[in-house]
Order: sequence, then structure tokens, then C-alpha cells
Amino acid sequence: MLLKINHIAKMEGHAGFMASVIQGDVKSAKLEVQEGIRLIEGVLVGRHYRDMPVVAQRICGICPVVHNLTSIKALENAMGVTVTPETEKLRALMEYGQIIHSHALHLFFLSLADFLDMDNDIKLVQEYPEETKKAIRLREYGMDIVRVIGGRVVHPLTNEVGGFKKAPNSEALKKLLADSEKTLQTAKEMGEFFRGIRIPEFYRETEYVCLQKNGEYGIYDGDIVSNRGFHIPVKNFETSFHELQRQQEVIKRVEHNGESYMIGAIARININRDKLKSEAQKYLTSLAWKFPYYNPFGNILAQMTEVIHAVENSMQLIRELLNSDLDQVVTKDYAVKEGTGAAAVEAPRGTLYYHVDVDAKGYIKNVNIITPTAQFLSNLEDDIMAYIPSIIDLKGKDREKKLRAFIRAYDPCISCAVH
Amino acid sequence: MENKNKPKIAIVSLTSCEGCQFALLDLGERFLQLTEMVEMVDFRLIEDEEDAGVKLDIVFVEGNPMTKANVKTLKEARKRSNLLVALGNCAAMGGIPEIKNYHEKTNTIKHVYKYIQGIQNEEVKEIDNFVKVDFTFPGCPINGEEFLKYLPELIAGHIPIIPDSPVCVECKKAGNRCLLLDKKPCFGPMILGGCNAVCPTSRMVCQGCRGLRPTGNVKAMRATLSQMMSDDEFENTTEIYGLRDDIEESMR
Repeated sequence: MLLKINHIAKMEGHAGFMASVIQGDVKSAKLEVQEGIRLIEGVLVGRHYRDMPVVAQRICGICPVVHNLTSIKALENAMGVTVTPETEKLRALMEYGQIIHSHALHLFFLSLADFLDMDNDIKLVQEYPEETKKAIRLREYGMDIVRVIGGRVVHPLTNEVGGFKKAPNSEALKKLLADSEKTLQTAKEMGEFFRGIRIPEFYRETEYVCLQKNGEYGIYDGDIVSNRGFHIPVKNFETSFHELQRQQEVIKRVEHNGESYMIGAIARININRDKLKSEAQKYLTSLAWKFPYYNPFGNILAQMTEVIHAVENSMQLIRELLNSDLDQVVTKDYAVKEGTGAAAVEAPRGTLYYHVDVDAKGYIKNVNIITPTAQFLSNLEDDIMAYIPSIIDLKGKDREKKLRAFIRAYDPCISCAVH
Repeated sequence: MENKNKPKIAIVSLTSCEGCQFALLDLGERFLQLTEMVEMVDFRLIEDEEDAGVKLDIVFVEGNPMTKANVKTLKEARKRSNLLVALGNCAAMGGIPEIKNYHEKTNTIKHVYKYIQGIQNEEVKEIDNFVKVDFTFPGCPINGEEFLKYLPELIAGHIPIIPDSPVCVECKKAGNRCLLLDKKPCFGPMILGGCNAVCPTSRMVCQGCRGLRPTGNVKAMRATLSQMMSDDEFENTTEIYGLRDDIEESMR
């Protein structure tokens, strides 16, 4: 029997799904990618490094911030450019803003209808007007952070190698701070609402991987770690994680020790949960999860926990920035140098990795970009193979709904994965 | 969702970052109000139902037709819609992916993939090479405010005209210090305004994502810029948003 979905809506990019089941045995399960190739790495070769963040962030309209930040960090590492602590804080805040608005979109508008068994968001919005307003408010808070710092939400403008072209307006930061308390309240109320949805029971052991940093929830910076005790600096990523392309496939897959692994909110919560801020800790405790928590549907509630944490952490970062000299974020002169650099930042969907070689004049010799969705694609397919037997007896349409819901819970971004 | 009196609108996304669609979604409540004014058909970001191919009043197209399936989608969109509108720089001018046309062309793929057999890898062409385009919302990404401003005209069946005014007008209005005075190579004077000068306001030079304005003086602008960047740098920068071919044409 073939299980086929031509087109999965409500996610970033275009993909379908196909699985083959013979006498109850799932033989294969595969996400069928329908995206064209833009060859972003290819068009960057031979260009001046200054163009790289501008071009690379256009890989994705949902998460341009993280492509922008990671490309800049990789270039700074390649050329030995250092930035001020204020710049690092402002970038971390920008990434938290990115995570808040991306998660709020996925949680509420892309995935929630699946858990309430609704066909579309028009019904969702009509039936849950208060929650819709809250979801929009959360999203707007995250977008405001990106706008105040970056100058624009989709494809921000101020961030560059060495710092920022312009410091954010302190009045605008004060307004963000003033909004933060109310936003935290909204996030907690949203959390209560999401705690009430029914998460299907499904468990499969896997390896969780994310960034970890001493003393804080690793987002902007850290080493690569896994829940199996694995720990390496980011610069060694490509020696342990292998990117491979199968014939005729436009998404390259990534393996660790020859196996699939999982990244993103659920991986971060599993690994770094003791570093969450207090309200997020409380929320996670209220979910009564037993760790390691291996239910991929739990990614939804892991994202919800991260939204609460991200609002708390943003509040703290804004306060610290307002107490510092904001002009320190403005780029100072630096030397263009030949070199190789790697960098990773936690994107909403997991660890985003960049590697770049720059020549002595600042032209790019080589680039590699490994996106979150490319990393978790094999894990998604392995999970689905294990999930199918539990839904195989459902009617065609109901079964298809379950499969769509499963894939969407992962929050894949096909535009990023193909780039 | 069926309503006979409301105009039917669809957004079609070809190969792209989908950022133009997000520039609309990011309007938040104002976007939701918009969805009450019109009937959104097959809006992939909010619904699962596949549409039945009804006749449309306006179809908005973002992205590049990079695969055979993309081209088919584009042509079908044209057939079923009264108006077809390009949404953003990729659809209108080729965007970031078009950089490859200026350099290694289809050989660019060798930097990215080991196995290239069976992968569709054409040169990048703007959508007006395949279908008639009635109007373009320029920019990378589009300006959501500008979309809201011109949508009523489009719904009424009129083709709006974006005023032939440079980015500089809005830039001055915003009270910015001119980047050219600081010897920063800003393309503002020759580029079509309507973006609220969002880049120069962030001290980012204009690189022309909205395209040349009809009466801009490209030759004079190039002479000014030659004091701030080499010919190579100029050419490279004009490639980012697919401006290079338009500039070459206007210099002829």
C-alpha cells in the first residue's frame, strides 16, 4: 500500500509525502521535496564577504535573522574580527525575538488546528478569538524586537561584520521593556491554553543535539552537545556530523555516527532545561514530563516553553542593554584577513551551521550552510516509519490528517533545507 | 469561506524564501481584516484544503519559476485569474537566485551538489518571460503598507501607478543624513521609491531591490558612484537584486 500526500500546506516551502507499507510492514517513508534549487552557496562563491549576510539571509523569509547572524559570526571567525559584549547581547536579543515570532506562528497558526481537529485557520480564528489575539500579540512582540534592532522584520538591515551600522533607539528599547511584563503574562496564558491540548502518545528514542553554554540556555553561542554525552566545539562540527547527498535529492541529509538525530526546541529542552528562566521552568514542571522525553509531538509544548523563556530572557537583555553604552554596538574599523571560520546559532528549528573560507582581499572561496531541517529530515522519516503502524487502520482521510499533523509538529522549513 | 460577492484572491509561491508572503502575514490583525474583505483561495499558510481551481480576480505570484512544476503552476495561475501581480524582487527581477546567470550560470551547481543528474537546474528567468504580468509590487521583500495602499485599486480592476520618485524623497523626509555625502555607495537617486527608505534609515545603502525608476539618470549616477566603488564592485552590487541587466540596457 502506498500512502501519498501530494502537498502539505501550512509549513514553509513545498513538500509532499510518500510511504510504502507491505503487509503491515513500513518499507519506506519519505518527505518529497518540491522546491527548486537557488544555489545560495554557489552564488556566494567569488563574491565580496560584505554581500554574504545580505544574500544568505534571503534563504528564508521566516528566519532571516538567524541566517544573518550565523553568516556574520562565521565571517568574523574567519577574519579574526572581535565584537563588543554589547554587540553580542544585542544579537542574542535579536535571535530571541526571532524565536518568539517564529514559534508563535508555528504553534498557533501552523500547528494548533491539527490538535483541535480543524481544517483551517479561518475556523480556528473564529472559534478562538481571544487566543488568536494573544498569539498575534506574542508574535508582534518578537517582531518588534527584530524591527527595533534590525530595522525590518523580513530581511533585517543593521547587523554586519564587526557590529551594527546603527545603535537601536533607546526610547524604542524602553518601550519594548515596558511591553515585556504584559507579554510575559500573555505567554503564560497561552501556555495554559496549550497545556490543555491533547498530545498524541508516541515515543521513539533518538539522539538530541543542540548548543550548550556555561550558565545559560544556549541560543546565540555555545558548544555542540548531545544527550548522549557528546561534546565538541562548533569548529569540529563537520568532522562528526556528515552531510551527504543521495542521488536526485536536493536536500542534503546529515548523520551523526551513521544515524539520524533530532534538533530544535524539543532537543534544547531535553538538554538545557535546567538553564531555563524561572517562569519557563515552572511551566515545564507543570507538564510533568519524564526526561528524556522522546515524543516528537511534544515539540509543540517545548516551543511554548521556549516562548516563555525567550520573553523572560529578552526582558533581562533589554534591561542590561539600557544600562550599558549602546554606542558600543556600532562597528569599528577592522582588518580584512584571509581565513576559515565556522559558526552556529540556534534557529527556531534547531542548530544552524555556517562555514566560510575568505581570501586575503575578502572574497569568498567556499561556503557550506547546514540548516536545521536538513539535519532532522532523516529523524522525521525514521519517526514516521515507527508511527505509521499505529494509524494504519484509520480511514484514508483520517490517516492523512494524522500524517500531516505529525510532519507539521516538526516545523520543517523546506526553503531553508533546499536553499 | 464561499462568498459570491467578495473578490477572490490567491497567493502563489514559486521557489522563494516566502518572505513577501510573510511581509503580508506580519501585518497581523490588519492582515486578518484583509482576509475578511476578500476571499482568500488556497492560502497555503492558513489552510489545508486543496482548491478546486475556481476563477480568480487577482493572483499574486512570489518567487522564481525554477522547476517544471513551478512553470506549470505559474501558467495555470495566469489562466484562471483576471489579474496577475508579481510580488517582490524574485518574481519581478530574478532576485538573489539570478546572480548565477551573471557568473557560472548552470555550472554554479557544482559548488553545491555532488550528484547533479536529474536535478532541474535552468538559468533563472523572471515570471514575465512566461506569462503576462499586470502589475508589480517591487522590493525584497515587498512593503506591506504599499500592498494595503494599492490593493483596493487592484480589486476595482485598475492598474495602479507607483509614482516615479527616487528613494531619496522618503529618505530626506525621514530626516536621514545622505549616505552619499559620507561616500557610501547608495543607489537611492536612481531607484524607485515607495519603500519608506527603510534601508538608508538603517544606514544600509540602497542596492536597488525595487528596480530603476523610469526617469532616473543612470549614467550620472554611475559617474557619482565611481568615486566610491570600482566598476567591479558596482557591477557585483547590481547583481544582488537582478538590476545589472536593466542598467546595461539603460546605459546603451
